[in-house]
Amino acid sequence: MILRDIHVYWYVIPLVIAVSLVYSATRHESWRRIFGHAFRLCGMIFGVLLLATAFLLLVNSQI
Amino acid sequence: MADVNSKTPDSATNGTPVPTVPLKNRYLAAFLAYLVPGLGHAYQGRYGKAVLYAVCIGFLFTVGMILGDGKILYWRWVNPMVEAERFCFWYFAQFFAGLAALPALIQATLTHYGMPTILWGYGADPSVDMLNGPYPRFGKLVEIGYIYTEVAGLLNLLAIFDAFEGPALRETAHEQASTDQPAPTPAEPAPAVEVSA
Repeated sequence: MILRDIHVYWYVIPLVIAVSLVYSATRHESWRRIFGHAFRLCGMIFGVLLLATAFLLLVNSQI
Repeated sequence: MADVNSKTPDSATNGTPVPTVPLKNRYLAAFLAYLVPGLGHAYQGRYGKAVLYAVCIGFLFTVGMILGDGKILYWRWVNPMVEAERFCFWYFAQFFAGLAALPALIQATLTHYGMPTILWGYGADPSVDMLNGPYPRFGKLVEIGYIYTEVAGLLNLLAIFDAFEGPALRETAHEQASTDQPAPTPAEPAPAVEVSA
């Protein structure tokens, strides 16, 4: 099955996109604002995830 | 007096028209939104949002169930203070996914009273062998399945609130004017905004 062959890290992408879109849709009614908010939220979540990953890799490489 | 069937509080701030959110019967809309993600919004005529909720929440729940081989959705009527390890905390989140998660509650009730399960065992408490079955094939992806189904339920909870109450942040008249159209001159003082029951 194709889902089994996908690395576990890739599953975070649809999760973050879905969470961003649904959360933004509950905050606004206009599509322009929904997509704008979702885009910013997506970027923020991925940014935090990347920073956390980079920090952990850094810590891991120093041990 | 604010109309209970629509939410236009910001439109009353300076006369700038803000799109009305048709909530219709909000209790029915919230119930429909619980049953099927997006159905309550379709009932309200908010078809775009209905599709968005249905696709996003439905996708997460479906993929989660596939990753869990359909064995990650169940409920047990046990006392969490006595049998904490058998208590299904995660079902509290999955429950809000609606009709797709409801059979687990029914199956657990039937099992509790010694009756046979229905719907070909969908949502029934699986045996240990069945519960461990997906792990050799999917490994840690089964845990992703739990997360996906739980997040789907929690997102539908947000969607239910959206169907009941409308969007949480409504564009202020100033924002609306700056993005969509020139701001008109206020003709009269803004009336007080009532919160409809």
